[in-house]
Amino acid sequence: MGAFLFLFSFLLISLLFPGSALATQGHGGREGLYIHQLSHIFFFISMGILIYWLKNRGLTAKPGWRCIGYSAMFFILWTSDAFFVHLLDEQLELIRTRRIGSLEMAIDTDAGLQWLIPLYYTAKLDHLLCVPALILLYMGLKGLVHEKGGESVPEKEG
Amino acid sequence: MVVTAIPILLVDLVGSVLMIVFSFLCLDLVRMLKRKDPGNLIWTYLLWVCYGLGAFSVSRSAGHILKQILLLAGHEEIWSDIAAYSGTINTFTLILVASVTLFFERIWSIYGRILSDKRALQEAHGELIFMNQNLEKLVAERTEALARSEKQMVQADRLASIGQLSSGIAHEINNPLGIILGYTQLLLRGEDRESQKYEDLKIIEKHVKNCKAIVEDLLNFARSAPPAKEMVQIHEIIDEGINFIRHHSRLEDVEIVREYDPAVPPLYLDEKKVRQVLVNLMMNARHAVGAAGRIFLSTRWDGEQRLVAIRVEDSGYGIEAKNLPRIFDPFFTTKPTGEGTGLGLSVSYGIIKNHGGEIEVESLPGEGAAFTVWLPAVLAEKTGFKTEYKKGPKGQKGRKGPDGGRERIGEVQGGRDGADDSHR
Repeated sequence: MGAFLFLFSFLLISLLFPGSALATQGHGGREGLYIHQLSHIFFFISMGILIYWLKNRGLTAKPGWRCIGYSAMFFILWTSDAFFVHLLDEQLELIRTRRIGSLEMAIDTDAGLQWLIPLYYTAKLDHLLCVPALILLYMGLKGLVHEKGGESVPEKEG
Repeated sequence: MVVTAIPILLVDLVGSVLMIVFSFLCLDLVRMLKRKDPGNLIWTYLLWVCYGLGAFSVSRSAGHILKQILLLAGHEEIWSDIAAYSGTINTFTLILVASVTLFFERIWSIYGRILSDKRALQEAHGELIFMNQNLEKLVAERTEALARSEKQMVQADRLASIGQLSSGIAHEINNPLGIILGYTQLLLRGEDRESQKYEDLKIIEKHVKNCKAIVEDLLNFARSAPPAKEMVQIHEIIDEGINFIRHHSRLEDVEIVREYDPAVPPLYLDEKKVRQVLVNLMMNARHAVGAAGRIFLSTRWDGEQRLVAIRVEDSGYGIEAKNLPRIFDPFFTTKPTGEGTGLGLSVSYGIIKNHGGEIEVESLPGEGAAFTVWLPAVLAEKTGFKTEYKKGPKGQKGRKGPDGGRERIGEVQGGRDGADDSHR
């Protein structure tokens, strides 16, 4: 009974005299960027593991799975490229961009890092890596469709 | 540095559209695979990967396209409101694709195990169906095999008992016969060659020698003496046997056909005794075909069981069903009295048994008879040689026995004078 009265009194005081709640963590910082960068790293590792298992199971000998392996390789290149771009312009803030009109842009960097500008410009064309990755995936799946059912699936356990 | 944004804009817009198109094409292909084989776990895995990639492509590409449009239209503030949502969805879908991809190895292993179990189940199911459909036939076959096996065992037991009895009697008779022969020959020395007593003693000597020969055959049947084995070419022994028959019988109208298997290796056996067996079988065949007919001699190497089959087949009358079980019994003969002792096949049985082999007979009355001798082959090492006939040969060509099945009767030992045409 005493415990109930104590709890009731505590809730009542809290409602009548509210203050700042400091129990939960805020998300207003740069963690959005970090989680996005981590997702790129995770994607990199995941594709690497997929390539490893495709080789380990001897599936790269079959055209369909081989193409899927190549697709994973292009995804690795793409995710590395995207990670690099985010690192330069958002995380390290070595590159600063600004639109000038509709068809031009200004790219600035710190003194002595001018060589980064062409690298950054090229890296911004990341679709040149992720689109081929998807095309290779499509070709791989098409290969699996053409292969006979038994050849594309495991013949025995392990 | 001011640069043109056109390449970036073009690659961004075109690339975004292509990403959506190809991710949906991939999804369509995997759905097709899934439709073809809905139970395939690998296709389910790929389907989830493609769902994830599709979601990522749509989210990312839509964001990029929208961004370019809004920036070109000068609504930078609208994009800054949307950018956070677009980025969050992109991150989420990227993590989703990466997570699903990680399951590849587990999915592959599990599906492999499923397939392996499925195959085992299908095999078991197939066997069950086969057993169900052929139950009666299988039971009949097993029953027949059992009956045949029992018959063979009874005969083998009987022959073993006869052999034991014969051996005992032969040993007991052999010594008195030796004494009679010795004394007869001693008396012959002191007799005048022209006297009647000399003639009488010669008759005694002749009959005692015959008796001794029979006793010797009985001992051979009882397998009392071990064979003197050496490496020999069985085809040469068969050829010698044929030559022997040619010299002792008229074979003008008898066709002898030979079909030797060149793979037959040299055999480790007692040449003299095995020749006796083969001559015995050939003489029987010769008697069976009569004045004209055909004798077929063949060999075959069964590498799997390391056995050599020597087959002597004739086109004679064959063996009566009632005589088949007794064909290897000592003193059993269908010849008229005085023409055969009935020990030929018994002696052959003993010799082959002593070599760890077996003799089989197949016959149907009116269709001839076929004797097959199975001899074990050994490698070049002779010392410590010991081999036994383990099981019946496979894939043997044969005729049906009189009881409807293939007749297969025990083991034999050789005759003194060769022929015993008990199957005429």
